[in-house]
Amino acid sequence: MTSDIHERARQLIVLRGAEGFADAQETWLQAHLQDCDPCREYAEATTQVIRSLRSVPMAATPSLVRRTQTRVRQHAQLLRQHRERLWMVGVACAGIGFSAAVTLPLMWKVFSWLGAWAGVSSPVWETGFGVFVIAPALLVSVLLLTRGTHLTDEAGRWHH
Amino acid sequence: MNAAACYFVNGMESETSAIARGLRRRDPDLLDRLIEQYQHRLLRYLIYLSGNRDLAEDLFQETWIRVLERGSQYDGKHEFSTWLFAVARNLTIDQMRRKSPLSLDGLNSDEDSAPLDPMDSRPSALEVVAQHEHADRIGAALVSIPAEYREAVVLRFQEGLALDEIATVTGAPLGTVKSRLYRGLNLLTPLLKGAQE
Repeated sequence: MTSDIHERARQLIVLRGAEGFADAQETWLQAHLQDCDPCREYAEATTQVIRSLRSVPMAATPSLVRRTQTRVRQHAQLLRQHRERLWMVGVACAGIGFSAAVTLPLMWKVFSWLGAWAGVSSPVWETGFGVFVIAPALLVSVLLLTRGTHLTDEAGRWHH
Repeated sequence: MNAAACYFVNGMESETSAIARGLRRRDPDLLDRLIEQYQHRLLRYLIYLSGNRDLAEDLFQETWIRVLERGSQYDGKHEFSTWLFAVARNLTIDQMRRKSPLSLDGLNSDEDSAPLDPMDSRPSALEVVAQHEHADRIGAALVSIPAEYREAVVLRFQEGLALDEIATVTGAPLGTVKSRLYRGLNLLTPLLKGAQE
């Protein structure tokens, strides 16, 4: 008998009981074990080790489970709030975009009329119009930057 | 496939699909149930993977937070436990990398790690001592073998995962998994010879 046969037998002993372990392999292994004392001892030792491994009763404590469940629920709540905020920001952006599309041509005409009425040149009332359009966005941006955005949590972490 | 096997497979698929749907909804009740169902298996895997109970408990919580955040990535086509162990494994590796740049091998034995406590099942004092000694001996033997062997052995013989599931969790080819099991057991056998149950 060559050492390859013993090596094969020992590999099969370890994989015994695994899916895909063929009946033919089991038959061959059983025949080999009947004739080979060292491999039989190896099989017994391996079985004992596997039994020892399976016998360790290691468990999570109830407090760990409760802590984890509470933390997961809190985090789920945080994610839900964040999603709602994102949705609100999305709706607000859409509303502002629509409102701007509707009102900007009208405001342009109003500024044009005011410019003519006040007797100022076109670049002047056009600049005024530009400031009027950009000012709210600038103001909101400055406010958000100073307060921290609503898309971050208390620790300033960005949620995505 | 016979009718019984077909029924079993369909039943398993519907259960994993239900889990996948619940995870997509971030259903807190489902997560509570999953935490309870997989508490022992996941913690045991993390303890042997990290070699430290305190770290394993932190990773246990982080794993479920990640399951909550990335639950939509679970497709429901495979066993939930396989995906859960893969999530836990990636987190552990990330943690070890942060702790030490050596990391993948940092999963290896840690001389200063806390002893592995057995479950508190209210037996007699003598039984508790015996259980502790038994668990300590097995824990010490496990943390003394290379991490990749330990992981394969724990997943196969403690968690009862199939070989292809171990391959999925560890990202290693099936042949490598078989080889790790073989070598891992060969290293453990002399260390655990005569270990009493």
